[in-house]
Amino acid sequence: MAYNRPYNRNGDSNRNRGRFKRTYHRRKVCKFCADSSLSIDYKDIKIIRYFTTERGKITPSRISGNCAKHQRLLAVAIERARNIALLPFTTSTVK
Amino acid sequence: MRYYETLYIINPDLPDDDYRVVVTKFSDLVGKNKGVVTKVDEWGTKSLAYAVKKFNRGSYVLLQYCGEPGITAELKREMSLDDRVIKYQTIKLSDNADPEALKTDEDEGKAETGEKEVPAKETSAEDEVENGV
Repeated sequence: MAYNRPYNRNGDSNRNRGRFKRTYHRRKVCKFCADSSLSIDYKDIKIIRYFTTERGKITPSRISGNCAKHQRLLAVAIERARNIALLPFTTSTVK
Repeated sequence: MRYYETLYIINPDLPDDDYRVVVTKFSDLVGKNKGVVTKVDEWGTKSLAYAVKKFNRGSYVLLQYCGEPGITAELKREMSLDDRVIKYQTIKLSDNADPEALKTDEDEGKAETGEKEVPAKETSAEDEVENGV
């Protein structure tokens, strides 16, 4: 088994290389950069909640498309909203 | 003077009179510590995202004020001693703020567009947070 794994992995990647490798990515744009009227504020839950998962986790920037700067500010805002019970830390324990 | 903002949650089961007492108590406390209150915003009773001290609902009050650094410690102490306050969080909005300018900004904003944002808010990257249960 241990011998097979690297062999298989190489085999797969070799087979796919150059044939079906073309994937299309739509370029994601940071919502806060695109819309300057949108400000990050820990009290504004409507905006912040958009960037959390159903479980209350912070959506990664690779999914939300935020730039590093705004992702950082957003993370701070979410932490603050959690501290003051505006957002849940997790939803599994509540209800 | 520094510009701070404290968001605190009051026990929702309090009678209206007691609620008013708490709100005025902390607004007055800022004045007693040589601070200037620029804004008191009562959000009303909201449901909490998680239970705090066995409460599932709470009355949010937002207090924005200018003052010297020691003011937050005093406010924090009073809030932690007060049973009627469920939770609180203080955030520094800016290091150098002029309370008079902020007040006029606030009034103009209300008169013109109802905008609640204050220009001093932009320095959120260097905020410091104090919070307690």
